[in-house]
Amino acid sequence: MLMTLSAQHLAKHYGGVTALADGSLEVAAGEVVALVGANGSGKSTLSKIITGVVAPDGGQLLLDGKSVSFAGPPAARARGVTAVYQELSLVPDMSVAENIWLTHEPRWLGLLVNRAAVQAQTARLLALFSGAISARLDPRAPVRDLPPDEKQIVEILKALSRRPRLIILDEATASLDSRQVTRLFDLVADWQVQGKAVIFVSHRMDEIFRLADRIVVLRNGQTVGRLARSEARERDVVALMTGQAAAGAPGDAAVAQETPAAAGEAAGAGSTLLPGAVRLQVDDLRTPNVHGLSLQVHDGELLGLGGLRGQGQEDVLLALFGALPHSGRIRIGGKVAAFRHPQEAMAAGVAYVPGERNAQGLLSIRSILENLQLPSWAGYGLPLRMSAARADGRRVADELAIVMAGLDEPVSSLSGGNAQKVVLGKWLLRSPRLLLLNDPTKGVDVGAKAEIYRLLAALAAAGTAILFYSSDDEELLSLCRRVLVLHDGLLCAELQGPSLTRSQLVAAGMGAVSGETANGEAAGGKADTAAEPGSTP
Amino acid sequence: MSGHRWQRLLSRHPYLFTLLLFAVLLLANRLLQPNLFESRVLSGNFRTFLPLLLLAVGQTLVVIGGGIDLSVGALVSLATAILVTNLLPESGMGAFLAVVGLAALAGMAAGAFNGFCVAVLRLQPIVTTYATAFLFGGVALWLLPRPGGAMPQELAQFYRQQTPLGLPIGVYVIIALLLLWLLLRSTRFGHYLFAVGGQPEAAYTTGVPVTWVRVATYMLSGLMAALAAAALTLGTSSGDPRIGDAMTLDSIVAVVLGGTRLSGGQGGVAGTILGVIVLSLIRNIISFANVPNWWQTLVDALIIVLALAGPALVRLLWRRT
Amino acid sequence: MNRLRRWRLSPPLIALLLAVALFFLGGLLQPGFVNPDQAINIVRLAAFLGIIAAGQTLVILSGGEGIDLSVGSVVTLSAILVFRIVNGDNALLLPALAVALGAGTLVGLANGIGVTALGIPPLVMTLGMTGIVEGAILVVTEGQLLGRPAPLLGQLVAQPLFGPLPGILLIWLLVGAAMWLLLERTAFGKNVFAIGVNRETARLSGVRVPLTVAATYALSGTLSALGGVLLLGFTQNVFLNLGRPFLFPSVAAVVVGGTVLAGGKGSYWGTMAGALVLTLLTSLLTASQLPEAVRQMVLGGTLLLLLSVYGRQRALRE
Repeated sequence: MLMTLSAQHLAKHYGGVTALADGSLEVAAGEVVALVGANGSGKSTLSKIITGVVAPDGGQLLLDGKSVSFAGPPAARARGVTAVYQELSLVPDMSVAENIWLTHEPRWLGLLVNRAAVQAQTARLLALFSGAISARLDPRAPVRDLPPDEKQIVEILKALSRRPRLIILDEATASLDSRQVTRLFDLVADWQVQGKAVIFVSHRMDEIFRLADRIVVLRNGQTVGRLARSEARERDVVALMTGQAAAGAPGDAAVAQETPAAAGEAAGAGSTLLPGAVRLQVDDLRTPNVHGLSLQVHDGELLGLGGLRGQGQEDVLLALFGALPHSGRIRIGGKVAAFRHPQEAMAAGVAYVPGERNAQGLLSIRSILENLQLPSWAGYGLPLRMSAARADGRRVADELAIVMAGLDEPVSSLSGGNAQKVVLGKWLLRSPRLLLLNDPTKGVDVGAKAEIYRLLAALAAAGTAILFYSSDDEELLSLCRRVLVLHDGLLCAELQGPSLTRSQLVAAGMGAVSGETANGEAAGGKADTAAEPGSTP
Repeated sequence: MSGHRWQRLLSRHPYLFTLLLFAVLLLANRLLQPNLFESRVLSGNFRTFLPLLLLAVGQTLVVIGGGIDLSVGALVSLATAILVTNLLPESGMGAFLAVVGLAALAGMAAGAFNGFCVAVLRLQPIVTTYATAFLFGGVALWLLPRPGGAMPQELAQFYRQQTPLGLPIGVYVIIALLLLWLLLRSTRFGHYLFAVGGQPEAAYTTGVPVTWVRVATYMLSGLMAALAAAALTLGTSSGDPRIGDAMTLDSIVAVVLGGTRLSGGQGGVAGTILGVIVLSLIRNIISFANVPNWWQTLVDALIIVLALAGPALVRLLWRRT
Repeated sequence: MNRLRRWRLSPPLIALLLAVALFFLGGLLQPGFVNPDQAINIVRLAAFLGIIAAGQTLVILSGGEGIDLSVGSVVTLSAILVFRIVNGDNALLLPALAVALGAGTLVGLANGIGVTALGIPPLVMTLGMTGIVEGAILVVTEGQLLGRPAPLLGQLVAQPLFGPLPGILLIWLLVGAAMWLLLERTAFGKNVFAIGVNRETARLSGVRVPLTVAATYALSGTLSALGGVLLLGFTQNVFLNLGRPFLFPSVAAVVVGGTVLAGGKGSYWGTMAGALVLTLLTSLLTASQLPEAVRQMVLGGTLLLLLSVYGRQRALRE
């Protein structure tokens, strides 16, 4: 029987945050459905519900017309539903072949793993990508040694090895190069012929139009559009994603209306184009994922870093904070800075808000006070003047309107938004001159977002230089006067003034460099997705 | 350039340094003890380290699976007590095998209890197995309040004197262990073991029965402890209810020397066997090199720490140059 | 509701209540167990374990599979050093103390360097260090432990100093207060907790992680050495495995006191209560005239029970 899967009005809430409000999607055998939407629109949650990783708290899932609820990923896999995720599910110390066949290894007499068969079948799977992968991607190679793109390919093959009826490719192309993407797309075409159903989650517009039969658009956790490829235009899809009428000229006053209101105003209020002296001057910065980047941030400026995830933005911030080995020339406030430990960067007035809140920003089981004061204890004398530390902590908590039962409660008792305020708050106590932010509103509810925007605007107004990476284009548009878009560890566009528009940002992030970047380094590329009169250099 | 290659080699075969050490020590031992390779001497040496070897092999499985077992010594004592209190000097092969089977069952039951506490109740492995060590040690003392008991004389004679094809029995045990390890690695369980120790979250999402695998490693460790006790008592012909106490920490040192990572997910039995042999070579050399009595403990510990630090020291030196 | 949570029993309090309960249980099982002299005696015995376990608390709190199995050997080392240097002369007590504490600190520092710079797992590094220290003792003394303890030390530790209370109690309380100050009122202490919970967060907040880790091991050496000196005052004699019986109980006292073995959560008050519980448990069992076998089983079972109350780890699926 041919497969059909239908997700109807699925919903998922985490505490007070709605990850998915009303997600619907249908896919049938032999069909490729693209699932698109801005970051945080609920794509990942929807696909995780379909594969049994997340249990929905509303709506229903129909498989072949019958209602199903998967207890976990293995249950979904047993029904032929499997996914290729971005967060890898590989065991680093095991070989490529062992990882691919884990839990369903071909065996002799149902007992011993048939290593020859495993190798041969792995080789056959790898051959699907031959020419697009290096020779060292061998069935016996430990996964630990592989570069990110080849790990991703192993993930794809791992899913494929189970002969699924429905495959979800969740941003599976994000770390692949163009040859690998082409090969993957050829494979997807084969799968269609074989009668497999495919859900393709992607940010890359060109890929979506190359691959999908139909396009489902999510915005703010809701399915807002279902388009057949034949009748869809890129600008229609972008319009649905961003909630703008396709006909209207994007990039004008409409931007401010759409953003969290208070933040937009605050950001607009306190800044001129180049507010102060140069606080940060970076020349030819190089790290494993950044290949020569130069930039300047001024006092009182809120400079945005944009682009797809994982294009080197995090490396830039970590290197500036002394937490990642790097080369290149960095000057802060005119002084050469060669930090080898965050402590040195902190002494020079630099602060860093990491991207992974729980893994890098918080001490989960410790108190809110201790989290706020972690970078600052040394300033409270010996023995620590706790009343002063407590008063300062209280002041910051009030300033950020952290909703909490008390400073002594564990930080793990806070909601995502309030926890993020703690991560930010610990730097406020040190009055940094240069604030580095790595996607500070990821997984944060609307109210806390507004607080964070307000705070950043206030800091900038007070003269702090801020370098701000966000995966949310809305944020960059509403908060920043200037945005650098990174692609593959290189600067691919510098947008400011009239060229700083949503469509430019989307296009630049997808590697489609338009001809009108402000720094003049126009690289041919694709035609602009939305015409921009008046911004030609 | 060559430093880089050496580093990669080291990270892929973490017991490489121990292998080098083994070669050096073997040579030193041969120079100091010219009759080292005589069948009688060799056989004696194998008998000395065989119990620790069996025990450390069990420990290796637990460590690869992401745990640690501090109760192995007590389990050896327990199995010893079971063996010597149920056997008579004139017992035959059948009775011996039956009692060894009984001890093995007891070891596995005790291991299952460890596994239950660690994997199901999710208690911290180090302190849990330290606490259960008291339990098992207590049972051993209860069965055998003071050293004594008996082992079948004929079997013990056979074990001590026979050298089939001129090789000590220990050699055959090692070959058997290596074959079994290869076999185990080739089962689905073998793959699960490394997945659970290496990245439990990934293993869990892939559908590996994580809890069950953890329990199984402790059960296997219990089984190996019972076999270690059998080897030990055949060598000494009587039982001491505290005989295993000193073996626990040695088993962990051997595992680490053998290149198995204490945090789990990497390593193997072959390395551990090498580690045990290196440990016993160190002790052998110390006793034959006329190291003054008072120096023996220090030399022993220094060589061990040096062996542990070796890979990192090599890396540090290379980074300097 | 908030107030309710504040009054919920904390692990150190549970351990303390347990100690009291055990004491009176002792009275039930053993007529004459409950009396002031017995109480003082038990607290005195617990003090040695408690002081030795202070360093263990620091090391375990700092996380990263941190554990110090060299405490036993450092106890022996420092007791022997003082025994030798003092040789019965009160005037030499202070210099001897300095040497002993210095030696202990050095041993701890070596552990710290092995763990941080050489990447040796703490368990085997400190175990190897035990061998080195015990070996060094043998080399230097050749088994002949000459010397005499300082009379002053004996008076300080064993004899009543304040009314019926021996000086060791005061010292233990001082150590407790100092540990509380160190952990709760210094930046170093806060950093120890931080690296115990999450080393990446700590690093990205400016904490020098390897330095802090090395310092906990060094301090563990210092405190074990102090424990050894005081123990000498009690035993009035030294032998080669004087400290060994304190090795694993020092870990157990920390855990029974509610400090999480994974690090980042716990207190020295808990360890003090844990030391009391363990000492009481062993004294009770010794006094109980039960067979050794049963005593061991009861000890193991009780430890296991205490662990399952608050030693549980996170589940894979939440």
